[in-house]
Amino acid sequence: MQIQPSDLGLIARVAGLAKRYGHGAGAVTALDDVSLGLRRGEFTAIMGPSGSGKSTLMHIMAGLDSPTAGRVWLGDTDITELGDSALTVLRRRRIGFVFQSFNLVPTLDVRGNVMLPFELDGRRPSRDEQAWIDELFDTLGLGGRLTHRPHELSGGQQQRVAIARALATRPDLVFADEPTGNLDSRTGREVLGLLAVASARYGQSIAMVTHDPVAASHADRILFLADGKIVRDAGRSTPEEISAFMLSMELAA
Amino acid sequence: MRTRMKDQWPTLLVAALAGTFGVLLLHVTGLLAAAIRADDVTGESDTVALMLGFLATVFVVIAVYVSAIVTSNTVATVVAGRTRTIALLRLIGSSARAQRAQIAKEGLVVGIAGAAIGVLAGTGAALGIEELAVANRMLPATDYGYLNAAVVLPAIAVALTTWLASWVGSRRVLRVRPIEAISNATAQDREELGRRRGRNIAAIVLVVVGIGLLVTGVVIGLTDPIGVLIGLAGGILSFTGVVLGADVVMPPVLRLVGRLFGRSPAARLAAENAVRNPERSSRMTIGLVIGVTLLTTFSVTMESYRAMLLAAQAAQPEVFAGIEEMLNATIAVFTVLIGFSALIAAIGMVNTLSLSVMQRTRELGLLRALGFDRGQLRRMIVAESAALTVAATLTGLVLGFGYGWAGAQALLGGAQGEPVFVMPGVPWVMIGALIVSAGVLTLVASIAPARRAMRVSPVVALAVD
Repeated sequence: MQIQPSDLGLIARVAGLAKRYGHGAGAVTALDDVSLGLRRGEFTAIMGPSGSGKSTLMHIMAGLDSPTAGRVWLGDTDITELGDSALTVLRRRRIGFVFQSFNLVPTLDVRGNVMLPFELDGRRPSRDEQAWIDELFDTLGLGGRLTHRPHELSGGQQQRVAIARALATRPDLVFADEPTGNLDSRTGREVLGLLAVASARYGQSIAMVTHDPVAASHADRILFLADGKIVRDAGRSTPEEISAFMLSMELAA
Repeated sequence: MRTRMKDQWPTLLVAALAGTFGVLLLHVTGLLAAAIRADDVTGESDTVALMLGFLATVFVVIAVYVSAIVTSNTVATVVAGRTRTIALLRLIGSSARAQRAQIAKEGLVVGIAGAAIGVLAGTGAALGIEELAVANRMLPATDYGYLNAAVVLPAIAVALTTWLASWVGSRRVLRVRPIEAISNATAQDREELGRRRGRNIAAIVLVVVGIGLLVTGVVIGLTDPIGVLIGLAGGILSFTGVVLGADVVMPPVLRLVGRLFGRSPAARLAAENAVRNPERSSRMTIGLVIGVTLLTTFSVTMESYRAMLLAAQAAQPEVFAGIEEMLNATIAVFTVLIGFSALIAAIGMVNTLSLSVMQRTRELGLLRALGFDRGQLRRMIVAESAALTVAATLTGLVLGFGYGWAGAQALLGGAQGEPVFVMPGVPWVMIGALIVSAGVLTLVASIAPARRAMRVSPVVALAVD
């Protein structure tokens, strides 16, 4: 019998992953033989300087882009060969996203944005799910703003709505791409705290791509990428330790 | 500069079409006038030639007016798409005025090019029509000279209105702030609505006065056919009011139509998209409203007239012999002439929808990332296109029906010596054709943007620029 990723306590896994753009002399290697597993319920940060391949890795793991070589699993599903429709349904049901900016559909209000994944699936939230969504609105302090449109909200409030949407369907994995990149540091800390709580209290698996050592210090585990390879797999670290390692990577390059 | 001009091709298309129409119409009128002069019986009178010239001018003016509205809307959309580039140029020291002048200059260049195409294509088409008509003995060979100065008039009108419309449409350039080049808070394309109040008051006054005149015309028409002229003035005034107040009139209609598409996420977003930028969607639809209103007004009046004629024919067959063929031919020719404005408006709508969807690439990527499949995205764009087309067609039909009936009542209410109520004729063929055209337009308008939307990769939404 084959061992499934979930038997190992993994929520997502990639093996021998490579991504190359272009052909011949102009070819660029974004990912070079990357193998890793993200553990269920953990808050993992993927760090690296610009061009290290961290965004490409996230796009492939989220089913937004396809690898040149290697395989990708979400839970026990091998998503490497899935077609566009299957990947679309997968993203709708099993993945949540928080982007750096432009997270929300501008023509929908806060409630409409959060409910969108359910509506796309052609269903209403169950009673259980509705209770969870109400709790999210409450915890994230969005209760009074459900009928506001995105342009009526501050950047931090917009990120809270994005978090509420990402968590609403209780997806297998939430991907956060530089979620604090557009926020001032205090609002950024709040958003990171909310992600950490979602992971610690509710067991939500989260993968966050960032180049900010302070942001990464909120994570349970930190993966460092450089030139398309994983160069370090560390546990919870202080911003100082993370900065020091990033600096040593820059100096070595 | 060539890359910057690429988004101006819709303007060129509209200018070329309006130019072609104007030049063709003048040539054909000239041809007919020459043929009439050559005829022994009618040649003595100048009235027919004069009437032809007057009618041609009216139709050219309508076409140029509609194309001006379409162009100013296209230019406004182009400016919205260039916001970032304009902001960057402002950042490095270019003045807003210079930026706006640049766009107006492009409008002039495009207008001149369109006018030139119009002169060539219009003259070519007129030559073809003459060949055909003479070969089929529908028209005698004439000495009509194609090199006449009058043909330059519609060309000049097209070039100038394209220039002017570009100037009007580029107002938004003045509101682009240099900071927009470096902040990423520009995804919203809200246009501020300033100086609206004066315009709305003018619109209301026009509508009220216009309707008053229209009612007066109908009442006077019961005893005196002069009522139709009063009614005509009322119609023009009130319709101008509707066009001016389009920002107020169209969004509620669009919302209402949008609600008809149901509650699915694709339909709801489409309905919202159709009104997300009220000023833009009003301008997008008003050209079509003008076209459909004119067509409906004309055909309802003619249909009422036909019903009355048929009744008269039944009573006195010998007097009214052959009148139906004449009437049908007249209706056909006028329908084509008025329909051309509707065609220009439709093309304008296709362009603007295409441009505005292209400017939403990032949002489309976000929707894909969140789980919209390609089919849902396509349905969303088709529904948005349908909302615009249906709203414009419905508004035009309702207005046109009202005007058409008022026209028929004012014209025919007293024609039989005693005041009668004229049953409005329902031009079923016309209405059917309009509904089919609206359906075709909906699909055609959504092909390019839907294809484009389905190609958008969700990765785009994540890219930080």
